[in-house]
Amino acid sequence: MTPILELRDVHTFIGQYHILQGVSFAAPHGAITALLGRNGAGKTTTLKTIMGLTPPRAGEVRFEGRRIDGKRPFEIAALGIGFVPEHRAIFRDLTVEENLKIAERKKGDYARKQDMIFTLFPDLMRLIHLRGTNLSGGQQQMLAIARALVADNRLLLIDEPSEGLAPVVIEGLIGAIRQLAADSTVILVEQNFLVASQLAEHYVIIEEGRSVKSGRMPDLVNDKAAIHRYLGAA
Amino acid sequence: MEQIPALMRKNLVLLLTLAVMLAVFVAAASGMSQQDFVITLLRGLAVGALTFLVASGFSLIFGLLDVLNLAHGTLFMIGAYIGWTVYVRPDTFVDVLTPLTLIISGFTLRDVWILLARRVPPAGARSADLAAAWGRVAPWVAIVPGALIGFGVMRGYPIAFWSLENYAESPVTFSFLAGQGQRVIPAPATFGDASPLIAFAGLMLASMLTAFGITLLGRSDAHTTQVQVTWRSFVPFIGLVIGGLAVFAVNDPLTAWLFALDTNWLFLIAALVAVLSGMGLGALMEMTLIRPLYVRPIYQLMLTLGLSAIGIEMVRAIWGRPEFTMPKPALFAGSGEGCPAESLWLALQHGCSTMIFQGGRIRVYNEIIVPLVGLVVLIAVWLLLKRTRLGMVIRAGVQDREMVEALGINVRRVFTMVFALGVGLAALGGVLAAPSIGLSNTMGESFLLNALIALAIGGLTSYPGAAIGSLLVGMLQQFIIKYGQIGIVIPFTEVVFKPSPPLVPASTILLMVIILLILPNGLLGRKE
Repeated sequence: MTPILELRDVHTFIGQYHILQGVSFAAPHGAITALLGRNGAGKTTTLKTIMGLTPPRAGEVRFEGRRIDGKRPFEIAALGIGFVPEHRAIFRDLTVEENLKIAERKKGDYARKQDMIFTLFPDLMRLIHLRGTNLSGGQQQMLAIARALVADNRLLLIDEPSEGLAPVVIEGLIGAIRQLAADSTVILVEQNFLVASQLAEHYVIIEEGRSVKSGRMPDLVNDKAAIHRYLGAA
Repeated sequence: MEQIPALMRKNLVLLLTLAVMLAVFVAAASGMSQQDFVITLLRGLAVGALTFLVASGFSLIFGLLDVLNLAHGTLFMIGAYIGWTVYVRPDTFVDVLTPLTLIISGFTLRDVWILLARRVPPAGARSADLAAAWGRVAPWVAIVPGALIGFGVMRGYPIAFWSLENYAESPVTFSFLAGQGQRVIPAPATFGDASPLIAFAGLMLASMLTAFGITLLGRSDAHTTQVQVTWRSFVPFIGLVIGGLAVFAVNDPLTAWLFALDTNWLFLIAALVAVLSGMGLGALMEMTLIRPLYVRPIYQLMLTLGLSAIGIEMVRAIWGRPEFTMPKPALFAGSGEGCPAESLWLALQHGCSTMIFQGGRIRVYNEIIVPLVGLVVLIAVWLLLKRTRLGMVIRAGVQDREMVEALGINVRRVFTMVFALGVGLAALGGVLAAPSIGLSNTMGESFLLNALIALAIGGLTSYPGAAIGSLLVGMLQQFIIKYGQIGIVIPFTEVVFKPSPPLVPASTILLMVIILLILPNGLLGRKE
């Protein structure tokens, strides 16, 4: 079975800087794959490269077997990829409802997904008329994920969902992400290894812009030496 | 309700500023006779409305695209001249339609050109160097002959306004005659010896060659987009060509009909054409000139500044340097029986140019209609921003363009639409201003300056801020002008101060400085 997403020797530059210097991995269908690595290793850039926000200069990105590198971000998104960026990027001047509605790709997407979204994030329901600027960090994160669920996305790219959130809030998020992974594939960037190890079935370690190790998460959890070497945590 | 005290505490500085401004305003106005006050207030509203039309478009464009469009004032002026042409010289307008549609037609076949461009250089090119060189030369091989053919044909194309002998004085003369109610239909221009068919074919060929060349220039882009050529790709092209030829076929009757048309309707048509041309011009400008420069903001600034100068010179070349007036539509131009009217209703019934309001005599068009249109546009654009999907995308894009794009929305197309909308608003401002302040090559500059000051006062990317800022600027200017005539008694003294005319622009800048010292982001601007 072809992997839902595949990167082959991807190189990305931001200005003069050679950020990704050969990232290759394949994300299998219907599972959560975690991108791990130290700060500044290139995890966020990898997600942005997949979305076409920082287009790769060399290498291939394939989504469901079709090449998507070189396409514009809106074309990539329209193929069925949802993006939950670092720092959430909630639209401050839009209400929660508008933040969701803007993600519609077909008329009526929001109406159709409403129930699913509010079952997953019941808190959002009572915030529906609040403006984005008035939400707490956890609420913003829920909204950012919910926004990626409005359109029919088969792949979700989620960047640092637990960043800056209280442990209780993280608990809830983990549950939500696990639930939504039942229907779609997720690629997750996560600093917090504990969170990542609870969620993901597969992992890819990125170091200094290269993918250096990948495999199944349970194997990594048991490999203390690798964790120490690549992630600097026990 | 419990939110109100919190809101007040949050915006204390803003509320205090507004209160002080209101107090100064009341103190200044209390020395005026009621009649003067009302007239000045209405004039302030009118200038504010025109300023707002420039400022709102400018701020929409700046907010979403980060482009400071310094050509906005020039586009305001071009809107006025286009409106005038349709209104006073419909013959020229009709004459221009056919060549214009034919020139545009070739550009609508973009998909075809992209497909063809992929075959250049030919697959059999002997070496990579040769192919690269050919790739660099090929666009110009198409563009240069295209432009030459177009230029040659247009020179021979009969447009009523074309001949150099009569245009130097004719705008002024024609405006004068039209103002007197004499609408003389100029002799229809006729093709000389050359057959019109040759001219049409030439224009279409020129258009196609140029469009193909431009597609070749932007080829790197053309490689990634997928295009399919079906019969649908030809629909706009065929539509434009048929439309253009149809207009040519009915040229004379259409001209006669427009000349015979009631000036009220003609004015509406003129405004509509001005707005549509403004939008077209804006879209064209964004797609061809601004788009390649999003990564280089300084170049953009230089580009728009240069375009503004080019625009002014082009208007001078076409319509000449002298200032002229645009007669008001009949509904607001009469002075006969029952004028000046006692109420707006009566004024409209009798078609009066003036009416009595609060003991003063005011001009219906300048002081009632212009502010009303400003208000309507204010509400319409506000509804567009708040109630439509496009508005939602614009508001979101002002904050984070990348995220909007990552949601699957083609932000580039939204950019083009917003640019077109902004320029269309400016053109509407121009055509609206023309009957009240007349046309001159430089009429846009003062409005651009006013708009910039208004935006600095109101907050650069805030839409209500643009409205409030424009209103303040308009009011302040008109009150200073009025005090220049009647003088103001300086409090606690006997001295009567008469502001001199240079104080009018200076006063708005002073207001801006004071407000920016208190609120660095303007009245409603967001803290960066």
